[in-house]
Amino acid sequence: MQVGLHHYLTVSILLFSLGLLGVIMRRNLLVIYMSLELMLNAANLALVSFSRFNDKLDGQVLVFFIITVAAAEVAVGLALIVALYRKRQSAHVEDLTSMKL
Amino acid sequence: MNASLISLEISVIGLGLVLMLADLFMPAERRKFLGYAAIAALGVLLLASFAGCGSCSLTGTAFHGAFVNDGLSLFFKRLFIIAAILVLFVAVEFSDRLTAISEYYSLIVFALAGMLFAASANDFAMLFVSIELITITFYVLVSFQRNKLASLEAGVKYLILGALSSAFMIFGIALIWGTTGQLNFTELAAVASQFADSKIFLLGVLLVLVGLGFKIAAFPFQIWAPDVYQGAPTPTTAFLAIGSKAAGFVLLMRFLFSAIPSITHSHALSTMLIIVSGITILYGNLCALPQRNLKRLLAYSSISHAGYLLLGVAALNANGQAAILYYLAGYLFTVLAAFLVIALVLRQLETEDVSGLAGLNQRSPLLAATLTIAMVSLAGIPPLAGFFGKFLLLKSVVEAAQTTGNPGYYCLLFTALVGVVISLYYYFNVVRAIYWSKEPKDVSPIEMSGAAKLTAWLCIAGIFALGLFPNAVLNFALLAVGGLK
Repeated sequence: MQVGLHHYLTVSILLFSLGLLGVIMRRNLLVIYMSLELMLNAANLALVSFSRFNDKLDGQVLVFFIITVAAAEVAVGLALIVALYRKRQSAHVEDLTSMKL
Repeated sequence: MNASLISLEISVIGLGLVLMLADLFMPAERRKFLGYAAIAALGVLLLASFAGCGSCSLTGTAFHGAFVNDGLSLFFKRLFIIAAILVLFVAVEFSDRLTAISEYYSLIVFALAGMLFAASANDFAMLFVSIELITITFYVLVSFQRNKLASLEAGVKYLILGALSSAFMIFGIALIWGTTGQLNFTELAAVASQFADSKIFLLGVLLVLVGLGFKIAAFPFQIWAPDVYQGAPTPTTAFLAIGSKAAGFVLLMRFLFSAIPSITHSHALSTMLIIVSGITILYGNLCALPQRNLKRLLAYSSISHAGYLLLGVAALNANGQAAILYYLAGYLFTVLAAFLVIALVLRQLETEDVSGLAGLNQRSPLLAATLTIAMVSLAGIPPLAGFFGKFLLLKSVVEAAQTTGNPGYYCLLFTALVGVVISLYYYFNVVRAIYWSKEPKDVSPIEMSGAAKLTAWLCIAGIFALGLFPNAVLNFALLAVGGLK
């Protein structure tokens, strides 16, 4: 069987859906954050496979930008989650309820 | 390639770095005044962009068309610089409640750099990187009061939802690029009509719109706004309300009217814009009604204002686009006036309840007048900036209804008018708390620094000038949107 663009895209969409499911279902901030990274990487996979099968390199260059931005986002995000953990001794979304109507 | 086109951005980034370095050599008690240095430097850049000296107001494209300097980007760049200057004034007043104040200043300046790039983005890579520069900077700015739980909580909520929306957006960009093979907006516009039937391409467009809808806090991507606005330090909230929203709108306008104009003018997408605009207006105004927390109230009001601004997008004509630019200019002064007063008045109070405004007209007539004018302008009462902006937006919707004959536009017009009537109630509730509260507990006068007075007068002057002499800004706005389809 020849592995084609459709297979890669299917995997990419599966990864994206799994990540989205994780963000919605999981209750721990760190796991939610990991799921978000999964979604970003699903987009990376789609870009790289489009790039390979369309013989254009723009997509791969964009992937480098995405990886860099995601690294910056993780640095800030983990620092924030750690700061919150120190304050509340918890990283669960149920505890993020100090602000309500 | 013409790298001198980005001289404005390079200067702003340089300013941010200088502010961070200056922190090392400044004694702690004088760091607060670095804010004035930043304001002065941004003021010089603003003048340079008006005077046309150097290359600050050149037009053209750079980096293979990824970066474009035209009327639209110049209009927004000036708007962003003015916003950053006024936010820095508020930040100086707020500095006693923040640790590491010079980092706060430099983060504001870095966010400004992201907004300047966003104003010029003409390529999906540029769009993504500039929007992330703004968003990631705002994660830190929102959670800057690390010792306050509300601030951290707001930061984490913004982080999770912001990262989610960027994941959607980047997946949308991947799908658009995969089907069309174009990242550049100008080149995409030439081929977009061939893909009008491609499901994958349309899904990509939809996902990019999700990411941009999050930035402007449009329904159904508005859930983050109330908590983040409430928990963030007041200057951050002000910058979020005007800077981040305006950056979202310039990117939305470029994406819809310069990258995919043929899709935007299709029936399906214009209907979607009408529905989103109407629901956003109603949601923001109805949810603002029971609010007692001032910042939360302004958050819901900012959601409804995103809805009003979307009227101009949904109208799909040049007058609507120009009205957006005008409305944002008026909104800039109005929102900053409101947040300046909140930063000053609620300094001693733990809560941000509306009742904290009791007796403000005796404590400081200037602040009372500033907040009243801001509220009246937000409600859309003539002759202030908010009235004329709403008038222009509604007029563009009427025009669209007449040219297309789409009955949806009349429903939208009716919804917007209902929204304005609802909003009168909660805006005048704030005014009533200032002037007609029973037995204010605290009647001690509020000390205002000279800079705070100057900011208040600048905001009042801006609101009145835009409302009384709209033509200058409106003509500039009409010229600026000339390149959009």
